[in-house]
Amino acid sequence: MALHEENPSKVKRADIVVGIPSYNEAQTISHPTTQADLGLLQFFGDKSSVIINCDNNSPDGTKEAFLNTPTKTPKIYLSTPSGVRGKGNNLIELFAKVNELGAHACIIIDADLKSITPRWIRNLGEPLFMDFGFVAPLYVRHKYDGTITNNIAYPFIRSLYGRRVRQPIGGEFGISGEIVRIYLEREFWNNEISQFGIDIWMTTLAIAHDIPICQSYMGRPKIHRPKDPGADLGPMFEQVVGTIFNMMIPYEPYWRKIRWSKPTAVFGFGLGEMELPPSVEVDQEGLYQRFLQGVAQFQTVWKKVLAPEVFAKLMEVTELVREHLDFPTQLWAHILFDYAIAYQRFKGDKKMLLDSLIPLYFGRVCSFVQRTDRMSIQEAEEYIDGQCLVFEEARPYLDERWGKGGGEDV
Amino acid sequence: MYKILVVDDEESIRFLYQEELTDEGYEVITAESGYRLVERIEEEGPDLVILDIKLAGYDGLDLLQEIRSRYYDLPVILCSAYEVFKRDIKTIAADAYVVKSSDLTQLKEMVRRALEGRTSLERGSDEDGGGV
Repeated sequence: MALHEENPSKVKRADIVVGIPSYNEAQTISHPTTQADLGLLQFFGDKSSVIINCDNNSPDGTKEAFLNTPTKTPKIYLSTPSGVRGKGNNLIELFAKVNELGAHACIIIDADLKSITPRWIRNLGEPLFMDFGFVAPLYVRHKYDGTITNNIAYPFIRSLYGRRVRQPIGGEFGISGEIVRIYLEREFWNNEISQFGIDIWMTTLAIAHDIPICQSYMGRPKIHRPKDPGADLGPMFEQVVGTIFNMMIPYEPYWRKIRWSKPTAVFGFGLGEMELPPSVEVDQEGLYQRFLQGVAQFQTVWKKVLAPEVFAKLMEVTELVREHLDFPTQLWAHILFDYAIAYQRFKGDKKMLLDSLIPLYFGRVCSFVQRTDRMSIQEAEEYIDGQCLVFEEARPYLDERWGKGGGEDV
Repeated sequence: MYKILVVDDEESIRFLYQEELTDEGYEVITAESGYRLVERIEEEGPDLVILDIKLAGYDGLDLLQEIRSRYYDLPVILCSAYEVFKRDIKTIAADAYVVKSSDLTQLKEMVRRALEGRTSLERGSDEDGGGV
């Protein structure tokens, strides 16, 4: 039970729940709430439903903004205890409520979504009333929006667990009551998962528990608060990457059996013309400079984490001027695999280890931006798909080194 | 022996694929159109489908959706003479996309990978449910 719950309509049962996690989203939460209401009425009118805001006791009036949004669907406000923050903590409160309500389906949407339409609710929810237990979104994003997804989460999860989930940390999901109960067991729960690690944790558990997964086409691009990949990295990087690395340890028996990836079913095509997302500006020089600063700051760590041939190749890359920076995908895959191995063995502060990966990520993103600069979104998508194949082809590198160590002790 | 269903409206392509893939040790059956394709899959139980995109009277990408809605895990490789269709987001539901060529090296490699992936996942499921 959350510390604070307001349930003005005294809802006790629901077939379908729309959950909106938030912290200080008073300015934005009304729009997704309204769209969720319209979607539930239009496409799930024969089912009992409720919209739940799972909040972190926001001081900016998120609760009032949510509860005062006019809707026909009843609403519930939940909050974590005072001082407890994190998207993962919000969602665990939501899952407990979904289970208590006996809901068959739960749709999760971000509170800062500007482009959501009622069809998003249909497309994230309808597959859950077919045979699917986990629905990930499929939307067009600008080639520089979602750089952690494009350069780490998607290729890594795809090559490791063998499932192509294009937006594994997209923020919008559809989940069945069955997988909610799996989530409530909180396998491998930790501080990273209780924050931004929650999305990749949910996706990984769905794959590893063999829950039928589908990707659902949203029809419109994801438009939310724009983020410069260099300026807005924040703690998200370590929470997402730390969770990916952490979960490799218990799920080793699963991923060891995987060699090549498979596609997932797709739902919801035929929604009209593709709308282009707004462009995302990237400070390439800033990315490059932070990459170079990492050389001075972390070179000794890199030498210990990376295999000698990988470190040598990386040093060649650090000598390239920005205009000619080329950070090969195979090198990037080997670096991530070496870091995953080091993370498994490392007994010290793992945050420090992940900090040393961030400049390499900036270098990689800078190279990605330069390579895709003149590409259309579709061409960049093909390029990303090609990168994923390189990760899959590099898998034997990981398989041979995992468990044997790699590089020196950090 | 793995069974492969080749769906293509060009007889020469069906013949080429059948010859070459049979030589690789696969059992190959063919269909010249998308008519009753899902029923054909139901009857024949192929392990993999090679599907042309521009079929007379049928859109291979729509057929792919139809197959996926019934057969979640059946490997499907899209084949087309044109690279441009690869940019259609619907192709994401396929295991691979191969541009047609008289050299079948890439197609054979994609067939091998798709069937290898199928084998490893099935093995995972059989042994321990695929979980931890």
